[in-house]
Amino acid sequence: MFGFLMGEALRDLRRAGRVAVSAILLVTLSLAALGGFWLVSANLDRAVGRWRDRVRIIVYLKREPAEADLPQLLERVHAVPGVASAVYVSRADALRALKQVLGKDAAVVDSLPTNPLPSSVEVTPAATAATPNAAHQLVERLEALSEVEEVAGGVDWVERLSQWQRLLTTIGLGVGAVLALAAILTVTTATTLVVHARRRETEIMRLVGAPELTIRLPLLLQGMLQGLAGAVLALAALSAMYSVVAPRIEPLVSLTLGLPRLAFLTPLNLLALTLAGALLGALGGWLARGGREA
Amino acid sequence: MIELHRVSKIYSVGPVKVPALSDVSFRIDKGEFVVLAGPSGAGKTTLLRLLYRADLPSDGEVEVFGSDVASLRRAQVAALRRSIGVVFQDAKLLPVRTVYENVAFVLRVLGTPRRDITARVFDALRVVGLSSRAQAYPAQLSQGEAQRAALARAIVRKPPLLLADEPTGSLDDAMAAEVFEVLRDIWTGGTTVVLATHQRRVAVALRRRTLALEAGRVVKDEG
Ligand SMILES: Nc1ncnc2c1ncn2[C@@H]1O[C@H](COP(=O)(O)OP(=O)(O)O)[C@@H](O)[C@H]1O
Ligand SMILES: [Mg+2]
Repeated sequence: MFGFLMGEALRDLRRAGRVAVSAILLVTLSLAALGGFWLVSANLDRAVGRWRDRVRIIVYLKREPAEADLPQLLERVHAVPGVASAVYVSRADALRALKQVLGKDAAVVDSLPTNPLPSSVEVTPAATAATPNAAHQLVERLEALSEVEEVAGGVDWVERLSQWQRLLTTIGLGVGAVLALAAILTVTTATTLVVHARRRETEIMRLVGAPELTIRLPLLLQGMLQGLAGAVLALAALSAMYSVVAPRIEPLVSLTLGLPRLAFLTPLNLLALTLAGALLGALGGWLARGGREA
Repeated sequence: MIELHRVSKIYSVGPVKVPALSDVSFRIDKGEFVVLAGPSGAGKTTLLRLLYRADLPSDGEVEVFGSDVASLRRAQVAALRRSIGVVFQDAKLLPVRTVYENVAFVLRVLGTPRRDITARVFDALRVVGLSSRAQAYPAQLSQGEAQRAALARAIVRKPPLLLADEPTGSLDDAMAAEVFEVLRDIWTGGTTVVLATHQRRVAVALRRRTLALEAGRVVKDEG
């Protein structure tokens, strides 16, 4: 039975001809746009995630605390809401770290008359402090401590990146939705043509007592086939574009965003896009009401 | 098998009421061959449409296979139609399919197992004498052959009731004779047949029970 329904659906698709082709291309376009935005957004999201993990707030101290006062100071920093962990970095520690960063140029440091670096406390914000507001509040609270000279770092630019990513996602969804709507309408048009081309079959089916589902299913299936064909084309276009573009922009992305490697959509994402295509098509097929009454 | 009790049918065309059947009562038993005779516009097509529930009566009861057709729900209407074969003046063959595919279409639509289809299609084609034309397309058939292909499609599921609405209306005498021959064979095979025709000559020549309709009323029931 399924073979028969599928055969009828394919026959219908051929009959819808050029309109079916434009329906398929519109599905392709909408899914490619959706997938493209998704791809960029997913990579930005990864960058944001990486940076969030790495965000440190450096609390510079007015003067090096006495060894005895240290536990009490750290305790107070720790007690500030939004602090996940706090590590004391003495002036000597800071200098050692600087030397390490400089590598073979470390000799410069040795030529300094005194250690210019202040002591500091390195604070890792808690996940709850990752929003721009919470981060600001955290910085203000840390600045309020009497020992503190200055608070540096923060999550501002990561947040900006994150905002960009959200904006991009919204735009992507908007563009995708508009194109998807156009795709659905075109599938509906194609299906209406199919309904017309099929009217003889439909008449005979009704006459011989075919179940309503058997009459409707080929219409639904041909719509779904349009959607699936569009989805497959979209995925092919996306992966082709990705394989051309990704290697070219990876160095730039690595430099600016700190992402060493771009990632393509996951198999689950691809599955979701394919299902979305089938759904678009089925919806378009279903919306062509003409099939209901002979 | 069929029982009509005081059936009327009035079509409404805008504000105009067109009476097509008025106070029609009769019964047809299993195994009968009944000719529904009457001039064009007498109400023959309307009557047949009531029997396979393409239309509902305006008044009265139409009983087919023991159930009142007006009370049937959608799925039951489909079930009713699966027990009734129908042919028209126009063969209504699907143009881009061969004779074989046209007949097989019915079986496939109704989910007949694949392995049974070929044998059943050729059984039906043999009854109508079209076995050798199985691979022909409708455009390649004579009108008589097309009508016989339609008959094959109507009987391929061996329905207990066959309704034929002017099946010879557009055929010459020789072709019409062939179609009547086939109808007789189908009837002999045990199928109840109701044949509507406006050709008085045909009705008489068949020498079967004849229900004569005139202006929507049964004016004669004999034979
Ligand atoms: N769908 C319809 N709408 C309005 N009037 C109709 C319709 N079908 C048939 N009629 C009218 O009903 C009468 C009977 O028609 P019909 O049953 O087709 O007669 P027959 O088949 O004997 O020629 C005619 O007067 C015809 O004009
Ligand atoms: Mg008629």
